[in-house]
Amino acid sequence: MRVLLVEDEQRLAENIVAALRETGLAVDHAADGEAGSLLAEQGVYDAIVLDLMLPGKSGQRVLQDLRRRKLHTPVLILTAQESKESIVNLLNAGADDYLSKPFDLGELLARIKALIRRAKGVSTPVLAVSDLELNTVQQTVRRRGQVLDLSPTEYRILEYLIHRPRAVVSQQELLEHLYDFDWEHHSNVIEAHISNLRRKLNVAGTEPLIETLRHRGYRLREEAGSQ
Amino acid sequence: MKSSASVSITRRLVVTVLILELLSAAALITAITVHEWSVQLEIFDTSLVATAESLMGAVQDTEDEGDNVMLDMRGVRLAKDAVFRVEDEGGKVLGSAGEPPHLEATASGAPLFRNIRVSGRDYRFIVLNGTRIVDPGKANGGVRHSIAIIYGTPLRHVWHEVREAVRFFAIATAFLLGLTAALMAWLVRKGLSPVHELAYEAERIGPGDWQFHAPESAKKTSELRPLAAALEAALARLQRSFEQQKRFTSDAAHELKTDVAIVKSSLQLLSMRKRTLDEYGQGLALSLEDITRLESTVEKMLTLARLEQPAENYNSSATSQTCSLACSLRDVIADAVHQSKPFAQLKSIEVAVEINPNTDVRLPIDSRDALLLCSNILLNALQHSPDGATVRMAVTVDDDTARLTVRDQGEGISDEDRDHVFEPFYRGDPSRSRKSGGTGLGLSICKAICERAGGSIEIANDALGGAVVTVALPVKVVASSALSASLKAE
Repeated sequence: MRVLLVEDEQRLAENIVAALRETGLAVDHAADGEAGSLLAEQGVYDAIVLDLMLPGKSGQRVLQDLRRRKLHTPVLILTAQESKESIVNLLNAGADDYLSKPFDLGELLARIKALIRRAKGVSTPVLAVSDLELNTVQQTVRRRGQVLDLSPTEYRILEYLIHRPRAVVSQQELLEHLYDFDWEHHSNVIEAHISNLRRKLNVAGTEPLIETLRHRGYRLREEAGSQ
Repeated sequence: MKSSASVSITRRLVVTVLILELLSAAALITAITVHEWSVQLEIFDTSLVATAESLMGAVQDTEDEGDNVMLDMRGVRLAKDAVFRVEDEGGKVLGSAGEPPHLEATASGAPLFRNIRVSGRDYRFIVLNGTRIVDPGKANGGVRHSIAIIYGTPLRHVWHEVREAVRFFAIATAFLLGLTAALMAWLVRKGLSPVHELAYEAERIGPGDWQFHAPESAKKTSELRPLAAALEAALARLQRSFEQQKRFTSDAAHELKTDVAIVKSSLQLLSMRKRTLDEYGQGLALSLEDITRLESTVEKMLTLARLEQPAENYNSSATSQTCSLACSLRDVIADAVHQSKPFAQLKSIEVAVEINPNTDVRLPIDSRDALLLCSNILLNALQHSPDGATVRMAVTVDDDTARLTVRDQGEGISDEDRDHVFEPFYRGDPSRSRKSGGTGLGLSICKAICERAGGSIEIANDALGGAVVTVALPVKVVASSALSASLKAE
């Protein structure tokens, strides 16, 4: 999952980016409203954390422009203003959630995850596809009750796929949603991770869960083993 | 509602006008009395004369040998209660009524009028002397009789007339007074209605709503126009000041919350999971930096708050230690330049100071504040200068004012920024965030220091490009060559 943070306060941004990355999210950071708007409108983010008081372009305008472009990325607003009015205005302008500064970092992470989950049509932190179970809070994966030891990247790929069951997910999409600009990435990196992931998921006596569709991408089969 | 000390303009006006009316009515009645008296007296006298003349006419020849005269009262009509006596030259009373006093006629023979009290009543008498000639056709020219007539009637009648006239006027005046009082009360109240409207409008002002528009009626009333205008202006000023205060509070809250958010997130990030000793060390160092920033924000806010305390406290403490407060401007500039040296070197900016080495001025400010003032202005200039530029500081002194100018070679200042740059938390360029612009309190602190010292600070564009900050401060000039500040800064 890839998150965009638009925050002009350098130190705060550093901390949030570090925290988000530690929970396994890819994060891009924009330090002003213009850059934030530009990045947000690419539509590759699974959630956006938006500060309100931004140089260049206010958070409110960034949000309005985003929604005007019919982009439905969930947006969490960070604000140091607490007037009820501005919060109501923001929610009406298309914000999905807000946190006022100073906030709890853990709460911010939980809210971002919840936003991503809900935007993908899932309401609990534990996702299951056939006999595979993925806990997004503990970041653990079990198959038939057996805990699988996945690398962080493998976990993120599986998490992304499990959020989009039955859909064909291209390598490009995986790249866009799993890596931020700070990471070196090539499409064959994805291939290598997928093949490792497939191997680790392959518990004895089960069907392979991840399908490869040539030139199109990958798909998580829901009815694994039922053939 | 009404306290005993309250004063009603309506009542006061009505009472004043009524008293004036009453006084003029009294004067009028006095005048009328005098006038009426003289008119009535004239009429009275005329009738006295007429009756006396007719009495004279009633003196007849007795037709006897003695050529005597007698009084024939037929055809003579006397007034009620009239007294008279008709005498001839021999003192013989020809006829009388009542007991008139003895009165001497005037020598000229003109009728004489006298007011005399007879048996408890005021009478007015006429003394008329005439001559009656019996048988004027005779050869000796007839017998001459000098007739003296004293005739008097009571004055009561005149009194009565005057009294009647006065009474009429008094009643009319009283009626008119009542009428005017009622009319005036109504008119004054109606005339004062703009005041009530103004009061009503002013009453609506509350802490939430500072909007005040004086009602049209008040604006149209020339007496109320200054009040309405003053109210409007005062409230507008208050509103501005409140809004400034509110903005300051909200900006301060924003600033503090952001700084606290940074510290909190730094520590929470550190405690998210177990880390190596190195990571903890780095994290703590960063957190310490964050806390230092929070501390500096708080310190600046407190400085500003201290500077904005009422000046009298400052002055009272200042007078007791004036000597220690007055600090040398030259030393302060040297300190400021020294302090900002690392930053200047980082941007390879040269700081040039032009100051006459033979004069030094003593600023009427605490040396700490003076240093804060100079270094804030210098830092601001450094921040707005491109790398490798020069910042020029110069001091000129005339009479009792020292002017410190600081010129940078930056981008200058826009008109919009110039109006707000001394407001707390104002950051000129919106694309410049906190990391470069500081807290936005520096120049506000400068302004507070200058105003407290009775000076001023302003910013303008230099003709050669860049901005120039000018500080004017009242000073004591000290001619001295002993001061050993060498002001060569790189």
